[in-house]
Amino acid sequence: MFNIDFNGEFAAFFIFSAIMIIGAVLMVSLQKVVHMVISMAGVFLGLAGMFVLLDAEFVAFVQVLIYAGAVSILMIFGIMMTNHQAAKADPVKPLHETLAAIAALCLFGILFYAIRMTDFPDAQPMPAILDNTSGIGELLYTGYVVPFELLSVLLTVAFIGAIAIAKKGADQ
Amino acid sequence: MDQFTQTAWLIPLFPFAAFLLLTALGRGYRRAGVLIGSIGSLAALVMSLLVFFERLDPDAVDYSDGFKWIDLGDYALKIGFEVTNLNALMLVIVTAVSFLVNVYSAGYMKKDERITVFYGYVALFTFAMLGLVLSDNMLVFYIFWELVGVCSFLLVGFWYARPAARAAAKKAFIVTRIGDAGLLLGIIVLFWYMPGHALDFSSIHNVFSEGQSGAITMSITTSIALLLFMGVIGKSGQFPLHVWLPDAMEGPTPISALIHAATMVAAGVFLLARTFDIFEASAAAMHTVAYFGGFTAIFAATVALAQNDIKRILAYSTISQLGYMVMAMGLGSMTGGIFHLFTHAFFKALLFLAAGSIIHAVHTQNIQEMGGLGSKMRITAWTFGIGALSLSGIPPFSGFWSKDMILASALDENPFLFVVGLAAAFCTALYMSRLFFIVFMGKSRLQQPMEIRESSKVMTIPLVVLAVLSVGVGFVETPWNGWLGSWLSDGSEEVHANAAAIVASIAVGVLGIYVGWIMYGKGSIERGAATARVPWLVNLLERQYYVNEFYNVVIVKSVRGLAEGLRVFDEYIIGGAVRLVGLTSVAGGRVLTRINNGQTQVYGLTAVIGLLVIIAAIVGRRFW
Amino acid sequence: MLPSYLTMAAILFCIGLYGALVKRNAVIVLLSIELMLNAVNLNLVAFSKYGVVPSLTGQVFALFTITVAAAEAAVGVAVLIALFRARGTVNVDEFDEMRR
Repeated sequence: MFNIDFNGEFAAFFIFSAIMIIGAVLMVSLQKVVHMVISMAGVFLGLAGMFVLLDAEFVAFVQVLIYAGAVSILMIFGIMMTNHQAAKADPVKPLHETLAAIAALCLFGILFYAIRMTDFPDAQPMPAILDNTSGIGELLYTGYVVPFELLSVLLTVAFIGAIAIAKKGADQ
Repeated sequence: MDQFTQTAWLIPLFPFAAFLLLTALGRGYRRAGVLIGSIGSLAALVMSLLVFFERLDPDAVDYSDGFKWIDLGDYALKIGFEVTNLNALMLVIVTAVSFLVNVYSAGYMKKDERITVFYGYVALFTFAMLGLVLSDNMLVFYIFWELVGVCSFLLVGFWYARPAARAAAKKAFIVTRIGDAGLLLGIIVLFWYMPGHALDFSSIHNVFSEGQSGAITMSITTSIALLLFMGVIGKSGQFPLHVWLPDAMEGPTPISALIHAATMVAAGVFLLARTFDIFEASAAAMHTVAYFGGFTAIFAATVALAQNDIKRILAYSTISQLGYMVMAMGLGSMTGGIFHLFTHAFFKALLFLAAGSIIHAVHTQNIQEMGGLGSKMRITAWTFGIGALSLSGIPPFSGFWSKDMILASALDENPFLFVVGLAAAFCTALYMSRLFFIVFMGKSRLQQPMEIRESSKVMTIPLVVLAVLSVGVGFVETPWNGWLGSWLSDGSEEVHANAAAIVASIAVGVLGIYVGWIMYGKGSIERGAATARVPWLVNLLERQYYVNEFYNVVIVKSVRGLAEGLRVFDEYIIGGAVRLVGLTSVAGGRVLTRINNGQTQVYGLTAVIGLLVIIAAIVGRRFW
Repeated sequence: MLPSYLTMAAILFCIGLYGALVKRNAVIVLLSIELMLNAVNLNLVAFSKYGVVPSLTGQVFALFTITVAAAEAAVGVAVLIALFRARGTVNVDEFDEMRR
């Protein structure tokens, strides 16, 4: 794992991962909720950069559009509509937080151990695809068209459901 | 000609069947209960007499039969019965006294509402005693020995509403239990060392007689003999385990006659006779037995001089006479011991039943509150007198012949014990005459005036029968015609007349009666003279040498202290541990409640931790 | 290179798990869940390039995951708004009806 050559790819990886980790850590440690969402948006952007590094440009764009755009704004909407300033004096639960931290660390330890111990066989060369988007489009509309259609049904159901739940007239 | 001997195993079953019937009948059916009990013992008596007459034939051979009960590897436990001359004699004694007591109790216990239960217990006791007599090996003997002790407990505590009776029953059982522990140890050691682990009496006779102990060393023989003797000490009331007998007088008087005069206490002497070969093989054991017997005889006789309860006097007299029997055994005269057992059964039962007749009439047991009963209760007085003369050893009554035989063998073997026996005979005559003169002669000193009548026929007829027996049975073994000795031991015992012993015993008996007459009959010496001059001696005797108090302080209190200590241990330490377990569960439960507080994140954390544990277990299996 | 991507994804996942278990504002819990889903996406795309059989299948899968996650986020926020209207709070500690 340590036989890395310091080229651009490595530098980009390093920067993007730094952004992601810092964003994630800030998210769990900041006090104000809106700040948490902003740092989360930073994580999403860093992840988009990672996707570019992995030759998945289309996924990167979709990530920026959906996550850094729609989901973050959605969360801010949710915060704004649910009285984000009231809950200030939160009782601290140190035992719970400590245990959760230990559990998360242990899980990471297990995963890290698994990754270290695995012998990844040498990768076959990737078939050269010049245009990532058209490649995905081909795959999506030929091989995976059924899941695609199902997904659109899911989205329809989801937004109808969201409107139905969040409608103001629901409690009257 | 042998048919009754071969079916002798039926004899105990008659009273046992009576017991079952009486238990099934319950408390009602009082007259039927009396009849059933009496018929059961009568049947046993008739059959015992038939067996006895068969055995009188000089060609009679010992008969035994049995079956295998449990198989333990290469050893088998057998249950069986045996009919020898000794057994046949004991059968007659036990069934005769039992039958007479059954008849007598019909009158004595007439007003008791639990009379059917009483008859049931008496039948059970008779069954157990007969089983003990007929048993052919030590194990069956021990079983019946214990059963007899249980029946004694039940009967002594018959009037269980009285705390004194309850305490006496417990004391009887516990004290004899101490002796029984020794007996059991003796049986175990015997089992260990006998060739083939055989425990039947004929094997014991073969191994130990004629000095053929062989592989069993002298020390082992002595220890077996002494351990068996411990059982005798307990059951037959020798010093130091005699303390239960006087207290057992809390039971009904017919019981005192049956159990504590004629039969159960004789079981110890019977054991000595059955295992006599073991004792004969060890001189040390014989000496121990003789000295224990002699000491008990004189000890109990002196205590009886100062008692005021009529039954207690007779109880101490029983202890003293048992001491004579044991002493006879220890001196090598098995015939003497058995002969004295034979005569003692009849005259002591007679004395007890007569005492019961008196108690029934005057409703008190304190002799200082009686007096002048002779004119009012003639039959009782005459029969009591006959019994008293027999006990004091006056010829031609039966007690004289048996006591003389014991004293003769004492003079031969151990002159010191001869003197002790004479002294005890003097005391015996003295306390009996004291008892007789205070109760039957003189002025009446009843506390409340009441009409005194002779008891009913059903109570006086057994008295008369026993009186006749007390006179007659003595002639089976006289110094000039020793039939009993040869019959019992198949002709191996010699008998010889010893003039010195005869003269001495008669003289001592007459002297005792004379002194008693002077003190209590004529009144020449003041009654309170002894009390005035040596009050400390009288007090010592009356308090039975403070033996009971000694036991109370040394044994009872220490056992109670130990029990209290254990109770504290149990309550605080063991109970504390149990309570600790309970508290732990509750506390653990309270801790776990906090996990279930309904918050999703807590549930989620619990799930993640559980997942980690499972993964760790699966991954960790690779290393372990 | 693959292990580094996978480790990265693992870090993000664990931080997201911590946030989901500890944060008291329900919206932030939803956000942490989104973080966990993003970590999975990173895994998928990394395997699509550096896996045993490199192909675009991983990226298609990642697209699907993004879509479903977005739909779930929308519905989740809607539920939260409804809950807020009913309870007046979005503190997850207050939703303990399952206590008894």
